[in-house]
Amino acid sequence: MIDRPRLVALPGYADRPRPDVHFCGHCGRPPLESDIQPSSRVCTRCGLGLIVAAPPDGAPTPADPFLLVDGQLAVCGVSRLAEELLMTKETDAVNGHIGDLLVPADVEIAGSDSLINQIIHAARGSGETHHVVLRPAREFGIRFWARISPCGPPKAALIVLADGRE
Amino acid sequence: MDAGVRTLKTSEAASVLNVSPNTLRAWERRFGYPKPQRTAGKHRLYTHGEVAALRDALQEGLSISSAISRARESLSSDTSTLVGALQAFELDRADAAMEAALALRSVERSVQEVLLPSINEIGERHGFDSAPWAFAARWATDWLQRAQRMAPPPSRPAAILVGDATRDDLDPDALSLKALQLFAVRSGARVLVLPITGVAGLTEVLGAFAPQVVVIAGAHASDDDVARWAYRVRSASGALPMALYRRGGRADAARTTARILPDSAGEAHRVVLEVLDGRPRGVAAPADDHDMEQPDNSRQVRAS
Repeated sequence: MIDRPRLVALPGYADRPRPDVHFCGHCGRPPLESDIQPSSRVCTRCGLGLIVAAPPDGAPTPADPFLLVDGQLAVCGVSRLAEELLMTKETDAVNGHIGDLLVPADVEIAGSDSLINQIIHAARGSGETHHVVLRPAREFGIRFWARISPCGPPKAALIVLADGRE
Repeated sequence: MDAGVRTLKTSEAASVLNVSPNTLRAWERRFGYPKPQRTAGKHRLYTHGEVAALRDALQEGLSISSAISRARESLSSDTSTLVGALQAFELDRADAAMEAALALRSVERSVQEVLLPSINEIGERHGFDSAPWAFAARWATDWLQRAQRMAPPPSRPAAILVGDATRDDLDPDALSLKALQLFAVRSGARVLVLPITGVAGLTEVLGAFAPQVVVIAGAHASDDDVARWAYRVRSASGALPMALYRRGGRADAARTTARILPDSAGEAHRVVLEVLDGRPRGVAAPADDHDMEQPDNSRQVRAS
């Protein structure tokens, strides 16, 4: 046996020991049994979202508002509750920059670079779940606790908004 | 010309997308896509190209919205191709772009979604009095005339008289008028377009043509010219239903009993057919419970 330092591969997103949680990108509810690995990814409960998956510590509950953002920081999905919370429509928000909807509100963080980096890393599928504080882009005095984690397919970042009571 | 356009019924389209027909209708309400045509019985008819584009996009999408956005993008590339061809003054490539559009859409939708927006974009970019606009407008006029020559012969007892109040073929409204004319001819109606300035011999022509509805199209001719022409038409053919199309600011709903048609050639055609069918204003065509047509939102014109 060679007695010298060696590099060890750390487990990545794809190697997670716990299975991902599936949920609808619109209503946030888990899919019916028949929805998992079907030829269509459309949620049969609401018919208005696609089934995506995220690690258990990042996945939303049906009561959580959330957004899906790709590696170019473009909004790809806005859940029904997030539409209400952010007073926007998914059809208007899709393809827009995430910065048009949410910006960092954490005084401990100097700028938006950290948020952008976390989203990009999550969208690559390699990021862990991170907790951040955000606010609506054009409003002050409102803050959300949020967690950012990888999701997919295709690979994207999941931003789940919460009111801090968790 | 649309022989190659494959269409799908609601159940067939839903099957391709592996969703229920109700979901498909919910998408139409929320996202406006896929946008079906209607059969004579008002049933939805989807173009296969649109449905296939959405099916492919759904495989790679994170949400229905983003998938639809991607599907629309893939379809709108026909417009970019046509604009590019016309800006390069390449007629063959412009024809090819329309052929590509026709592979995915009906003639009506190809005209409304690809040809007219592309020509308008050329006008917006270069000006509606520029040489590139003239080049594009001439090509579009020629294309619309070719499409009309390939339309089936009249199949319904409907005769539409159009009073052409546009300036000439380079008037931006003239293309919309030609599109409306094409749609009417393709729906089986007889259409006669006469210049609004020519009143001599009108009685004899109308005696032979026997119009059932009169459409005055274009904003170039003065109200006096239009009134003179309309008076001669009514003298010869009686009090026919009359509609105004693209009269711009000249069409004052408060001062006319004529029906004001929507600017879109497709919508205007639908309203003209309603008038021909004798349906009262604002009453939609009969439809079944599942495929109900949206109510007619065209303007109600009160009598002066």
